[in-house]
Amino acid sequence: MRFRAGISAAFASAAILLAGWQAGAHVATSNASAVTTSSTGTTGGTGSTAATGSTAAGTTGSSAPGSSSGNGTSSSLGASAKASGTYAGEAVQTRFGIVQVQVTVKAGAITDITALHLTDQEQRSVQISARAAPLLRSEVLSAQSANVQTIGGATITSDAYLTSLQAALDAAHF
Amino acid sequence: MNSQLLASPGQRAGTPPSPHRGDTRHNPTKGKFAAQHRRRMFRADLLTVALWASLAAALALWLADGGVSSVGNATQAVTAVGILAGLAGMDLVILMLLLAARLPFVDGAVGHDRALEFHRKLGKPALYLLLAHGLLLATGYGMAEGLNPVSEAVALWVLVPDMWLAFVSMALFIAVVVTSLVAVRRRFPYEFWYFVHLLTYLAVATALPHQFSVGGLFAEGTWQRWYWLLLCIGTGSALAWYRIAKPVIATYRHQLTVRRVVRVSPDVVSIEMTGLRLNELSGNGGRFFVWRFLAPGMWWQAHPFSLSAEPQVGPTSNRSSRQPSLRITVRNLGAGSARLASLKPGTKVAIEGPYGVFSTAARSRDRVVMIGAGIGITPLRALLESTPFAPGQATVLLRGSSPEELFLGQEILELCRKRGATLFHLTGPRAAHGRNTWLPASADSSRLRDFVPDIADADVYVCGPTAWAGQVLAEAKSSGVREEQLHYERFDW
Ligand SMILES: Cc1cc2nc3c(=O)[nH]c(=O)nc-3n(C[C@H](O)[C@H](O)[C@H](O)COP(=O)(O)OP(=O)(O)OC[C@H]3O[C@@H](n4cnc5c(N)ncnc54)[C@H](O)[C@@H]3O)c2cc1C
Repeated sequence: MRFRAGISAAFASAAILLAGWQAGAHVATSNASAVTTSSTGTTGGTGSTAATGSTAAGTTGSSAPGSSSGNGTSSSLGASAKASGTYAGEAVQTRFGIVQVQVTVKAGAITDITALHLTDQEQRSVQISARAAPLLRSEVLSAQSANVQTIGGATITSDAYLTSLQAALDAAHF
Repeated sequence: MNSQLLASPGQRAGTPPSPHRGDTRHNPTKGKFAAQHRRRMFRADLLTVALWASLAAALALWLADGGVSSVGNATQAVTAVGILAGLAGMDLVILMLLLAARLPFVDGAVGHDRALEFHRKLGKPALYLLLAHGLLLATGYGMAEGLNPVSEAVALWVLVPDMWLAFVSMALFIAVVVTSLVAVRRRFPYEFWYFVHLLTYLAVATALPHQFSVGGLFAEGTWQRWYWLLLCIGTGSALAWYRIAKPVIATYRHQLTVRRVVRVSPDVVSIEMTGLRLNELSGNGGRFFVWRFLAPGMWWQAHPFSLSAEPQVGPTSNRSSRQPSLRITVRNLGAGSARLASLKPGTKVAIEGPYGVFSTAARSRDRVVMIGAGIGITPLRALLESTPFAPGQATVLLRGSSPEELFLGQEILELCRKRGATLFHLTGPRAAHGRNTWLPASADSSRLRDFVPDIADADVYVCGPTAWAGQVLAEAKSSGVREEQLHYERFDW
């Protein structure tokens, strides 16, 4: 009896581990594309209506923390005194890599957030940030501020993301 | 004297014990209890498989998340092992909780005591895994950031939300396991250990937040998060239902009340209780309850005691005077059980149970042997009353240092007469030295097989002091009784 149990337990465990490993190999290959999509889907957010602010180009190069390089120009819309444009937040250093986001503000509203750089130091953190970034983006868009819940399982990425975002919003005088 | 009551087999015609191994042993796949036995063994095997599978699944969570491919250098390897240790450690903690959750499936398959024994065995491995988890991750993260493990741990504590709770949890786990070490536990009263043990729930509760917030494996939107959540919620519900709701329901349902306390010997009393729906408590199932007598100074202590008689289910015939009743027999072994002698009739009783498989539920063969010593005789009295056997198929061996110590001996003698069981009284001091210390000095040279020649083909129920029972079990095994035929109720945990 004990023998039967031992053999069955060994087979069951081996099968489960094998299945997990196979699934993991699959995840690893499909992973690289996940990251790119999370940072390319941003152009869709920029509206085609009037008063498009000047886009801040080349901000990705600024790796020094604290240097927010937003260079938006004030919009001509009289309704709001707030700036329109695209602003990059500070690059926040975390244990898993640098996090930096760029925010697009239009007519006093946050219309888009682009991740310029996400945690990438390990396979795991790439996956985590690939999952967290879209969630954070939609939370921020609906809350219209950096005051949103961090994403479970991605606390470090979330904190850095929101810190960088806040810096960008500060630069935009949002 | 009853003819079935033989002093000792030594007086018999001097026939040397004949080797009996494997010859007349009948096929265990036949007989009345074969199907029940197969079912129980199957369930026990299923538990073994489920146990290992859950551990494998915990590790597979990480593998399925592309764990292996994330390991590229030493730092990542340290971190990965740390994560795996945490997963395995938490899985063991969950298994320990389930083993202690009084799940009927577990209790019916291996018995409450075996489940708890296994629970105890998992304690140290679980703690070591959790410690390794903490140390390895502090080291691994530290290496990634160029910090030493201590500053990394401080940074985790201070900077990362929920991590301070995880540190508190670790301290609680250490306290719970250390107070459960046999050497430490003996120094403190049972109640102290019990209350420290309750901290386990706090330890688990404080360990959970960081698993879901900081642990990337369980990030929102992953199936791993769902698996882990369901595991935790399932375990929590099982505990709430079987350890809290069920006892409360049973207490209200049966409304047990002390009817009278009968002195059996200077330090032994029988407590008889009346109640409702006692028929639900008779039969094959568990035979012991954890009792809480709701009287001043007693209500906060709960003690396990076995039924010493099959529950009487009330006026089955016109003899309406026979009230439904339940009986336990208790020996004064400590502060709590001593007070039970002074219980007043009318005292309300809260119960948890029935638990255990020291009952017909464990039978695998048609023959049955019951061996008891001291207060351990009393659960055999209940078993003898109800478990099925044909005349001549049962043997009862009672051991005590004097005839007065064969508690309920008179009742047992009458039951043996009525049902055709062979009874041996083994009284007298034990031999000063010698191997068979479970026997009195007068029968020192006898063997178990002299009393029960066909013991290899019987279920053997043993109850008595630990050291004595150990001797009996060892001899039963060497007489060809297989592990699955041995049923042992231990009174000390
Ligand atoms: C399954 C089972 C069935 C039992 N059936 C009987 C019976 O039919 N008749 C009988 O006289 N005794 C029985 N006992 C033993 C009885 O439970 C203890 O003797 C009693 O709990 C001692 O309590 P105390 O306060 O008098 O002693 P204490 O001085 O408090 O302790 C004496 C010993 O009992 C242990 N103990 C105390 N409370 C508990 C508890 N709630 N759970 C587990 N261990 C505890 C302590 O660790 C210590 O080793 C049974 C025990 C078990 C486990």
